[in-house]
Amino acid sequence: MEQLNKRMEVRNLSKTFFGKKGYFTAIEDVSLDVYDGEFLVILGPGRCGKTVLLNIMSGLEEQTEGQIIYNGQEWKGLNPEIGMVFQKLALMPFKTVIENVELALKFRGMEKEKRREIAKHYIELVGLKGFEEYYPKQLSGGMQQRVGIARAYAADPKLLIMDEPFGKLDAQTRYQMQEDLLKIWEKEKRTIIFVTNNIEEACYLGDRIILLSDCPTKVKKVYPIDISRPRDMVSKEFLDLRTVISDNTDLSI
Amino acid sequence: MDQKTTKQKAVHSILYWGLPVLAVVLIAVGWISFSAFNPELMPSPAQVWERLVKTFTKPIAKTTLFGHAWASLRRVLLALLVSWVFGIAFGILIGWNKKARAFFGSIFEVIRPIPPIAWIPIVIMWFGIGEFPKILLVFIGTFVPLVINTSTGIEMVDRINIQVGQIFGGKNRQILKEIVIPTALPSIFAGIRTSVSSGWTTVLAAEMLGANAGLGSLVTRGWQGSDLSLVMVSVITIAIIGALLSTILQKLEKVVCPWNN
Repeated sequence: MEQLNKRMEVRNLSKTFFGKKGYFTAIEDVSLDVYDGEFLVILGPGRCGKTVLLNIMSGLEEQTEGQIIYNGQEWKGLNPEIGMVFQKLALMPFKTVIENVELALKFRGMEKEKRREIAKHYIELVGLKGFEEYYPKQLSGGMQQRVGIARAYAADPKLLIMDEPFGKLDAQTRYQMQEDLLKIWEKEKRTIIFVTNNIEEACYLGDRIILLSDCPTKVKKVYPIDISRPRDMVSKEFLDLRTVISDNTDLSI
Repeated sequence: MDQKTTKQKAVHSILYWGLPVLAVVLIAVGWISFSAFNPELMPSPAQVWERLVKTFTKPIAKTTLFGHAWASLRRVLLALLVSWVFGIAFGILIGWNKKARAFFGSIFEVIRPIPPIAWIPIVIMWFGIGEFPKILLVFIGTFVPLVINTSTGIEMVDRINIQVGQIFGGKNRQILKEIVIPTALPSIFAGIRTSVSSGWTTVLAAEMLGANAGLGSLVTRGWQGSDLSLVMVSVITIAIIGALLSTILQKLEKVVCPWNN
């Protein structure tokens, strides 16, 4: 990595939920760094913790303990420089593709012509040109997630968090989307935090992989990946890396 | 195989076209035979038709059937207009704002199960039997379903949709306007549909208890004058207008919520 500016630092983060039946620790003492411009993969088997961790990083939820340091300063609450692609898509069914993509720009009060132009650029970038006036329902799962990516990109975030964006796609579409995502990222570099529970996907995409343990979420190990892109999923070094990581992964059922 | 499926399709299309027709024919046959055997209980279709023509040649209370239908419709529409504005606004308020829900919620839970017709005596005692009390009754009858549907629709909006709004920098009001209300729109529309049918029922009940114009007053007049044909004419008119209103609403919903098709 050429530049090692830290975009975000997570310091000793914990999150405990208190309910009627007692308490539940989702995240325990997680510390990690996110470098500027990197494609960071967070790999976790778990059912708990990952989304909570992301929500705390983006400011949607509050941590029980620990700090989020953004650009060298402690940060609390929602961060306007962070964009997000959601696992459950969360596209607005009543908005067309272009209206979904321009959402953040509309919130900022940008005039219509300008935001349409920007939205069109990103719709083209994710390969959905011609579908601007479609409703999400009329698109396939892969195309819907492309809308989600375009929407996040259009907000022009410095840091883009993607929460298992391809988790619900079939294998074929998933490979295609992984490839396309890397192309998009090469074209318009952003710092990306990509969360997945798929080891192969993690090895294919990441500059670094942060392996998490299952409930409560802790950092187990950090793997830098030196394999050049595009990566061959059946090459020896890829398979070796995959084995090393999978041997260290908690099983989750 | 192919032949079989086309054959099945043909059978299906005849079946699903034929069944509603069959239902109508059965009712007509039932009506004709019942009225033939019990002329004192049920007028025949021909008598009802004659009575219908007579409502135009010899107006009741100086008004034709159209006039009476319009009198009822006008009351409903006026009341609906008011209750749509206030009901939806109020529903959004208690659906979105937790404090408002805490304040109004319990009162509303108590008022909600009271059928609109139960308000009739109170409203007549307070306001007499003029135009205002009828519109007020319809307002009461339509306000409740609107508030309930709107507020539940707003409350049920998935948290993740609101998080999307927050992540992309929406202020509370923007999130409400751009995300929450449109998400709740189908449910608000269900409230509108219920309000129309409930309004139409309430206005007739209110008119039956005292009015000199309106379809409900025609029913009462026919009933008290043992003019069953007139009752039938009014009832059929009520049914037709009710069906028309719901068809119009269905079309309107497709225009307002185009993504739902």
